[in-house]
Amino acid sequence: MIVNTMKKLFLSVALAASVAVYAGGFRVSLQGVRQLAQAHTSAHTEDASVAFFNPAGISFIPNKLSVVAGGFGINTNFTYQDLSTAQSFVTDNPMGTPIYAAVTYKIIDDLSVGFSFSTPYGSHLIWDDSWSGRDIVQELDLKSFFFIPMISYKLAPWMSVGVSYVHVTGQLDWRRTATALNGKLELSDDKAKGSGFGLGFYFKPSDKVDVSLAYRSTVDVKAENGKAQFSDVSPALYPLLGLDANGADTFTASLPLVEEYSVGITYDLTPRWSVSGDISYYGWGHYKTLQLDFAHAQVGNDPSDPTISTSPKNFKNSTTWRIGTEYKFTDYIAGRLGYYYDESPYSNKNFSPETPSMDQNAITGGLGFRFGSFGVDLAASYVFMQSRKASNSFYNMTGQLKGNAFLFGLGLSYNAF
Amino acid sequence: MKKYILSLFSVASLLFLSSCNNDFDQDVTEIKPTSGEANFSNYIAIGNSLTSGFSNNALYIDGQNESFPSIIAKQLQKAGGGDFIQPMMDDNNGGLLLAGVPIQGTKLYISGFADGSPIIANVEANPTTDITKKITGKLNNFGVPGAKSFHLLAPGYGNIAGVATGQANPYYVRFSSSDTSTVIGDAAAQSPTFYTLWIGNNDVLSYASGGGVGKDQKGNVDPSTYGSEDITDPTVLGASIKGIIDAMVAAGATQGVIANIPDVSAIPYFTTVPYQPLSPTNPAFAPMIPLLNETFGALNQVFAALGVPERSISFANDAASAVVIKDKNLTDIGPQITQALTPILGLQQATLFGLLYGQVRQAKASDFIVLTASSIIGQPNQEALQMLVSLGVPTEQAAQLSINGVTYPLEDKYVLTQKEQEPVNDAVNAYNQIIAQLANQYGLALVDANTMMEELGSQSGLSWNGVNYTAKFVTGGAFSLDGVHLTGRGYAIVANEFIKAMNDKYKSTVTQVNPNDYSGVKFP
Repeated sequence: MIVNTMKKLFLSVALAASVAVYAGGFRVSLQGVRQLAQAHTSAHTEDASVAFFNPAGISFIPNKLSVVAGGFGINTNFTYQDLSTAQSFVTDNPMGTPIYAAVTYKIIDDLSVGFSFSTPYGSHLIWDDSWSGRDIVQELDLKSFFFIPMISYKLAPWMSVGVSYVHVTGQLDWRRTATALNGKLELSDDKAKGSGFGLGFYFKPSDKVDVSLAYRSTVDVKAENGKAQFSDVSPALYPLLGLDANGADTFTASLPLVEEYSVGITYDLTPRWSVSGDISYYGWGHYKTLQLDFAHAQVGNDPSDPTISTSPKNFKNSTTWRIGTEYKFTDYIAGRLGYYYDESPYSNKNFSPETPSMDQNAITGGLGFRFGSFGVDLAASYVFMQSRKASNSFYNMTGQLKGNAFLFGLGLSYNAF
Repeated sequence: MKKYILSLFSVASLLFLSSCNNDFDQDVTEIKPTSGEANFSNYIAIGNSLTSGFSNNALYIDGQNESFPSIIAKQLQKAGGGDFIQPMMDDNNGGLLLAGVPIQGTKLYISGFADGSPIIANVEANPTTDITKKITGKLNNFGVPGAKSFHLLAPGYGNIAGVATGQANPYYVRFSSSDTSTVIGDAAAQSPTFYTLWIGNNDVLSYASGGGVGKDQKGNVDPSTYGSEDITDPTVLGASIKGIIDAMVAAGATQGVIANIPDVSAIPYFTTVPYQPLSPTNPAFAPMIPLLNETFGALNQVFAALGVPERSISFANDAASAVVIKDKNLTDIGPQITQALTPILGLQQATLFGLLYGQVRQAKASDFIVLTASSIIGQPNQEALQMLVSLGVPTEQAAQLSINGVTYPLEDKYVLTQKEQEPVNDAVNAYNQIIAQLANQYGLALVDANTMMEELGSQSGLSWNGVNYTAKFVTGGAFSLDGVHLTGRGYAIVANEFIKAMNDKYKSTVTQVNPNDYSGVKFP
C-alpha cells in the first residue's frame, strides 16, 4: 500500500519535474539527462553518457556503439542583502545552456574507446548595477569546454579500468567597476586552456549491482593572453597605470577546476526498479587565491609588485551526497527521481561574490523513453539553496545571500549493434 | 529491502524539507530603521572644515552635499530625522569674496600629469560667494572651516569687521546671527535634539601643517594670546569642548556623538613628499651633483671640526638624496662657520655660508616634508635670491645658492621635524584623553577617528565592498587633493563610523552607506 502510494507520488513528481545539478561555486553537474533525473548519480551504463562520469563505465555499455547528446537550460537567481546599508540586490542572469555529447565504441569485447564533450563548469552572473560587490563582479560569463578521449579495458567480465585525457578550453568575460579610477574594467580571455586526466574502475559483481569509482584530476585552466580593458577611465591616467593608448593591458591568471573523487552504486531492487547513490568529494581546497597578473597595469594590491592583484579565496574541499531511483513502467518508459545535497565550498567569511554559492538541496526527476535503438530522456530539477551569511573581511562585505535554480534537460541516445 | 530503501527516501525528504532555510530570516527592505533611545528630529552638526564638507582645499556645493553630517542626516531621515539645512556656497568652484574682493581661493583640481605626478592647481574661476550676503533661517550644519575648539565659543568670530585682522572667520560671517554671536550660541538657538561634534583638529594641525613654526601653548590658558599656528593648551581645548556640550545640554540636546582627533602624521599632507626627493636620474639635478659635493665638502670639514659631523651634506650619484633643511632646533653655528671658512673662501663668501648653513642638515626619514613643498623643492627661491643679491652676491652665484632644498635650505615651514612632531603627538594624546573623558561624563557616543585614520594610514588600508582605501595621496581614494580633507568617499567612511557609534550608544538602527557610491578624486 505504501509502496503503491509512493509509486504514484514518484510518478507525479517525475512528470512535474526534471533534474539539474548546479554545484559548488561554478561546477555545473550537468553531463547527462538520464543521470540528472536520478540526482546526477554515476553508476549507469545504459548508454554513452556514462563516459563523462567514469571512463571505465564505457566497457559495460551493452551496445557496440552508443551515441548521446543533450542540453539543459538553467535559470539561476540570487538575492544579496547588505546588512550595513539595508539594501537588497538581485541578479538578472541569462539562462545557462550547458550541453554534452558522448560516443563510445567497443573495438573488441574487452576494449572500448570513447569521447566525451561537455561544459561542466560555467556561470553567467549579472548583478544589479548598484549592487555592493560591483567592484568585484558586475557580470561574469565563464564557460568551459571539456574534451575527453578515453579508453577502457575489461580486466574481468565483472570489472573494468579506464583512463582518460582531459583537455579543457575556457572563456572568460568578467566585468566590474573600477571605483578607485572612477571607471570600469573588463577582463576577458577566450583562449584559456588546461589539461588533466581521469582514472576509473567499474564493477558489476552481480546482475543487480553496479559500482563506479572515478577520479578526475585538477585542471588548472590558464588564461595566458587575457585582455584587461578599462573604460570610462581618464585617458590622462593611462600612462601612469601602465595601460596602452586604448586603456588596455594584458593579464594572465589561472583557475583550478578541481579534482573530483566519486563513488557510485546502483542496485536493482527488481528488474524494473533500481536505486542509486553517490558520494563525490571535490578538492576545492586547491583554490586558495585568485591571482591576476597584469603585464604593465599598476592596478594590483601586491605591495612588492603593483601589477599583481591577489584575492584570498580559501575554498575548502566539499562533498556531495546523491540518491536517485529509476522505475521502468514498461520496457519503453522509465520514471526517475532523485535528491542530492551539495555543500558550498567556502565558509561565510570567505564569501566569494563572483562565485555565489550556498549549501544546496535539490530534487530531480525525469522520464526516459525508448524507441528501439533510440532513447529520449527528459529531466528537470529544482535547487533549494540555503540562505547564508557573507562576512568577508578582505573585501569588507557583510550581508546575506539566497538563491534558487531551476533546470531542465533533453537528452537523446542512440545505441546500435 | 524495498521498504528499507523507501523509508530511506522518505527520511531523506523529511530531513530535506525540515532543513530548508532558504529564505532570509528577515528581508532588510522590510525593516524600518529606528531611532532607539535617540531623538533625531533636529540634528545639528558642530565642528570645523571636516564637518562643513571642505574638500580639495575649498568649500563648494558638491563637497557640502557629501559632507559627513549631510550623509548622516539622510540616513537619520529614514529613522525619524528632519531636514538638514547647510549654509550652501553659491557655486561649485569654492573660494570667497569680501565685498567683491577674493579672500579665499578656489578648489584644487588635477590639471594633468608630469613625470607621473599630478599637477595640482586651483580651478580658474572667480569666487562668487560673497560673505557680505548673510544666510538666515534654519540651519543644521555648524561646521566652520578653520575653527579651533575655542573659536566656537568666541563672541565676534562671525563679525565681518574682524575678517581682515584674523579675529573672525569668513565662513562663519556668512551665517552668524550677529556681530557678537558665537557659533555654539547660534547652534543652540536651533533647538537641537541630537548633535555631532568633531572639533580640535585645527588646535594641533595648524602647527603641524605650518611645519612647526608656531608655538606649543601648553600651560598658557589664555587663547587670546595664541598665534594662528600655535598648539592649543589641552586645558583650553577641554574647557571649550565642555562649554560646547554644556550649551547643547542647556538647549535640550543631551544626546550626541563626539569624535576624537586623528594622528596628523597619518595624513597625506605629511606623508607624500619623500625626504629624499633629489634623484640622480633627474636630468636637471644630476649635472649639479659634482659641484655641489665639492662646495659642501669644504663645509663638511668645518662641521667635522666643530664636532657636528652629522650635519654633513652630500649628494649620491646612485641613489636619491635627502633635501637640505633648516632645523631651528639645531644650535646656530653660523659665526663659527664664517670664522672657519674665511681663510679659505674669503670673508664675503664665508659670511654667506655662515648665514645660510648655521642650522642646517639633510632631512631624515623621521622628518615630514609637507605637501606644499613638492612644488618648490629644486626651484629657485626668489626671496632668497633677492636677499643674496642685496647682500652684494653676484646674481649668478646668488641663483646657484637659492635653490630650495639643495643650496638654499628648505625653510622651517616646509618641514615638521621629528622634534617638532613631539608636541603634536603629546597634544593629540592629551586631547583624546579629554574627549574620551567628556564623552563618558556626558554619556555621549564616541567615534575613535584616531584609530580609523590609523587603519586608513596602514599599508593595507580599509576596504569597503572590495574597494580599497588608503591614506595615500591621490591614489588612496579617501583624501582630497589638499592632503588634509577627505573626498566624498572618505567622508562616507567617517559617516559610517558616526552611525555605528550612535547605534551602539542609543540602540538605534540607522543604516550605513556604501562609501563607493560617493565621489572620489577626479582625474582630468
